[in-house]
Amino acid sequence: MIHQRHTGRFLCGTHLIADMEQRVSETIVSRQQIVPGDCVAVGLSGGKDSTALLLLLHHLFGSRNDIRLVAVTVDEGIDGYREATARSAEGLVRRLGVTHITVSFGELFGDTLDTILKGHKTQACSICGILRKKALVTGAERAGATKLATGHNLDDEAQSVLMNVLRGDLMRLVRNSGADSGGRFIPRVKPLMYVQEKEIATYLMVQGVWEDLPECPYAIHALRREVRSMLSELEYRHPGTMLRLLENKKKIETAFSGNTGGEPVGRCRECGDPCSGRTCQLCRIRHSLLH
Amino acid sequence: MNLILPDRSTRVIDPAPATVEAILIQEGINPLEVMVVRNGLLIPEDTLVSGDDELRIIRISHGG
Repeated sequence: MIHQRHTGRFLCGTHLIADMEQRVSETIVSRQQIVPGDCVAVGLSGGKDSTALLLLLHHLFGSRNDIRLVAVTVDEGIDGYREATARSAEGLVRRLGVTHITVSFGELFGDTLDTILKGHKTQACSICGILRKKALVTGAERAGATKLATGHNLDDEAQSVLMNVLRGDLMRLVRNSGADSGGRFIPRVKPLMYVQEKEIATYLMVQGVWEDLPECPYAIHALRREVRSMLSELEYRHPGTMLRLLENKKKIETAFSGNTGGEPVGRCRECGDPCSGRTCQLCRIRHSLLH
Repeated sequence: MNLILPDRSTRVIDPAPATVEAILIQEGINPLEVMVVRNGLLIPEDTLVSGDDELRIIRISHGG
């Protein structure tokens, strides 16, 4: 089925599933991502990563009484894209019997992303990222969640490390969004962070739930697209590159222990949400783009 | 050998035995970015293919 290039192993479908369940479980336990008593809001876009995430978490925790799963879907209103993935999400939660909350940009911000981005398409991912984060957190709060799980995989995490290095953004490089913030944030956890994108796709195909869904039409504008291509080439020629990037990020995090010289986290003077600086990114976008 | 490319177009290539990996590289495709199905079954890239094999190359879409 799959050749795990970074370990040299060849796995059949059955062993791939078992391997992924074990690795995700180990990530959750070793990093204390999910503990008894948690209500976990699972960001579910309906794409491959979040689908695999919900399937795996449901396998690991679905039958337990001391951990609750709630799926949260954000509908940005991207025409020709979000409808297909949202349908996939709805089908999955129905099949698994998981509570499902949908938060739309229209409801939260008064407009779809397509409308908001008119004249600003080259900044699409940056703007969408800020708005999506607010929508996800809103959904998680509605669910009464103690943790917010997202489907970021090893490729995503390695790309982010490289992007932050290229941008010279030390604060983002060492930031640990899963850390305890003393109640100011719902901690974010990424159980798939050590699983490669190709493994996730193969897992879904083996499980019989792979769907060939469209990519976000705004992704062509992103720096991430170029970094992805570069990193993919490096990983192919030098297996283990992405894992080493992540491991080195962890060492840098430890070395800095949060001491990056950045502004301490306070509260936005306009909306009261936690942020560094006096005004949060969302409020700044509200002034410039939202009506 | 028949290739069904990610954009659903088809190509006929040399039927001589070759690994899936070699074929992908020849087509300018990174093996990490696709899954390959032979005659309906998912196969790893070190698989030797030849003759009447039909290979469907599925690009892994990004975004979760």
